[in-house]
Amino acid sequence: MEKINPRILLALVIVPLGLIIAMVPENTTKPYKLTTEQLLQEVASGSQFVSPDEIAKMIVEQNPSLQLIDVRSPDEFDNYSLPGAVNIPLPEILSDEWRNILDQNIKINVFYSTGSVNANEAWMLTRQQGYHNNYVLQGGLNYWVEAIINPEPPSDLSPNEEFARYDFRRAAGQSLGGETIERTTEAPPAPALPAIRPRERTAVVQGGC
Amino acid sequence: MGPLIVYDIISQNTNLLLAFFIGIGFGFVLEQSGFSSSRKLAGMFYGYDTTVLKVFFTAAITAMLGMLFFSLFGWMDLDMVYVNPTYLTSAIIGGIIMGAGFILGGFCPGTSFCAAAIGKIDGMVFIGGLFIGILIFTEGYPLWESLYYAEFMGSPRINEILGLSQGVFGLFLIFAAFAMFWIGEWAEKKFPREIY
Repeated sequence: MEKINPRILLALVIVPLGLIIAMVPENTTKPYKLTTEQLLQEVASGSQFVSPDEIAKMIVEQNPSLQLIDVRSPDEFDNYSLPGAVNIPLPEILSDEWRNILDQNIKINVFYSTGSVNANEAWMLTRQQGYHNNYVLQGGLNYWVEAIINPEPPSDLSPNEEFARYDFRRAAGQSLGGETIERTTEAPPAPALPAIRPRERTAVVQGGC
Repeated sequence: MGPLIVYDIISQNTNLLLAFFIGIGFGFVLEQSGFSSSRKLAGMFYGYDTTVLKVFFTAAITAMLGMLFFSLFGWMDLDMVYVNPTYLTSAIIGGIIMGAGFILGGFCPGTSFCAAAIGKIDGMVFIGGLFIGILIFTEGYPLWESLYYAEFMGSPRINEILGLSQGVFGLFLIFAAFAMFWIGEWAEKKFPREIY
């Protein structure tokens, strides 16, 4: 029997497979939803919380991967919201309209509400749907105002990091609409800023030849 | 259910161990395909040897088919596969620098290590150049930081931009690959070199 040209053989294998894959519908079912136990474990670990300092830093740096999501009512949203936030009221969180925003792998979604209860509920609902990249602003807007907009000065005996954090918070708070206050700290400005948590649960596998 | 590492089915360390073995396999295949010869690699740009195109595109469409079928069978969640985010400006400039280095040096980074591993001096010199480039980039980073982060596009997939399903785009890519193989082999006949 005559030997088949390997080029023809390759084409004979690959092209039919390509035809099959072009014709079958895409598998869009989310094969991975959390069981109740897994969800409980995640809730207990608290890994969904992002601190106000991290968020403030990302807003100030205009980090393009940050997407703030306000889960309060539209009225509250119009009254006050964080820069660049979109309003998805909690009752509408499962509607198809918002799926593109909530179910994606590009941006870091951060839910916030007045406290952290509603935001956390939004996070649990989307997490149960199997969506990733959703986080919760720790303490909500209440803690945001307390920590970033009107930060408490540290006591004189605090370590330098406390002063650095305070300076950062005041600077961020001023640029984000807080009151302008004169600088009063005497400690040398330490460059240490709170580290931004890297995107979790994302396998960083970078290739190349 | 994959990807294995994202779902904590294997640990980071196991992942690194697997990457180590896959890396050795990758290097072995590169060397076996003759990619430790800079003349063979440069042949891609002059048309006398298009092995690079054929090997890499065969690998790409094979891997693509594998992933699409794994996704179809529910073995793997493609949404969880890391896609390198696109910063358009740096991708274009980086591509030009990489291409120029490829023609000038006769290697891409991976193949230069292959060549160095079998004792080729030009491969070692290329690695030296690579480290000089890394040094210039990192030391001068503040100068090009804004350029580096310009035109952020997230992690777009080309089939989404074209509005095609993954499978249909995959089929087009397969046809495109075969067309390129055909043109490549035509070029090899058109610009032959006896010894290289």
